[in-house]
Amino acid sequence: MKTIRVIAVIIALIGIADAVYLTVHHYTAEAVPCSLTGGCEQVLTSEYAEIAGIPLAAFGAMAYFIAFSLALLSIYGNRTAWTIFGVQVVLMAIFTGWLIYVQAALIGAFCQFCLLSAATTFTLAILFFVSLGLRRVSQ
Amino acid sequence: MKEEQKSQSGTPLIIIGIVLAVVVIGGWYMYSTSKSAPRKPVANATPGTTPKTETIPPNAPPGATPPNMLGSPTAAVTVEEFADFQCPSCGATHPIMKQIQSMYGSRIKFIYRSFPLPMHDKSYDAAVAAEAAGMQGKFWDMHNQLFTNQKAWSADPNYREVWAGYAEKIGLDVEKWKNDMAGLPAKSRVDADLQRGRGLNINTTPTVFINDKQVPYPEVTIEGLKNIIDAELQNAQQNQAKPEAPASNAAANSAKAPANSK
Repeated sequence: MKTIRVIAVIIALIGIADAVYLTVHHYTAEAVPCSLTGGCEQVLTSEYAEIAGIPLAAFGAMAYFIAFSLALLSIYGNRTAWTIFGVQVVLMAIFTGWLIYVQAALIGAFCQFCLLSAATTFTLAILFFVSLGLRRVSQ
Repeated sequence: MKEEQKSQSGTPLIIIGIVLAVVVIGGWYMYSTSKSAPRKPVANATPGTTPKTETIPPNAPPGATPPNMLGSPTAAVTVEEFADFQCPSCGATHPIMKQIQSMYGSRIKFIYRSFPLPMHDKSYDAAVAAEAAGMQGKFWDMHNQLFTNQKAWSADPNYREVWAGYAEKIGLDVEKWKNDMAGLPAKSRVDADLQRGRGLNINTTPTVFINDKQVPYPEVTIEGLKNIIDAELQNAQQNQAKPEAPASNAAANSAKAPANSK
């Protein structure tokens, strides 16, 4: 059980780093060539990249930070924190699903750092469900 | 037990605080370093896009023949750009290239190569659309339309209709253009360019070569390109003065154009 939460903490840290990188990128708007492996400007400069002038990546960084804090608190015995963590990561996963749809269908381009973020979010959600399953087994 | 819990309950908060501090400081550091190092010639490359200075080998796939070319076919300096019509950084490079073309005119040979990246869903079609326009002698007009209006069609599901509008605007026979887009010759020209790009191990667009030497992306600015072209022009002039040393880069480069083969 604890191992899962420790993994969740680490994954959330990766998510924070990724989202912070994307946020900084959004503001500095450094020109990056398009590459075979993705990571194209197109996604990051699209109209979907911000809400009310705030880059989505900043919301992402905040969300990952909260997820990180909750997972960490749960390691130290706070059970409610893990439940809130679960609700949060499920919501994040739903939102991420929509973002993948936006990249695939509306923009027609993928961004590697956004896909990394999707992977971390889905991993966090999976970890939560695995922990629920383990709890049921142990009971 | 109670005391132990109490002492532990502080630990996560401390860790959270440390992580928050690291995130804020790290983010600020990333922000300030990238701000202080804007795109400049001879600046360091963006992390992850380390440009290797590559040279086009003489046995590289030739690409579409004849290439889409501006300037003089016999110019001593060849600028060859591999780009993707849907790639925003290629769109950003387009005005730079236009400026370079107007600055140097017939003193350079400018070649555009299509290198549509697979992650852009419309860029292959766009390259074919430009080639199809080229069959009516209007490659560059379509090229300009596609780059300057990139944002307008990139996210439009009816992009072909949008392009048809450009075709009409630049005075194409739209029906013929549509037929040519569906036909094999336009596609095979795009494929030939793609093959050349792959043969040169290109993995990002835009990739620019000047006299067969790859220009690192941070130097793809008006100033950066101007420096290289001026140096190459000067080189060519010196080599002309010394006829016993004709094997300059320019000579090697022109060998790939069929009209200039030795």
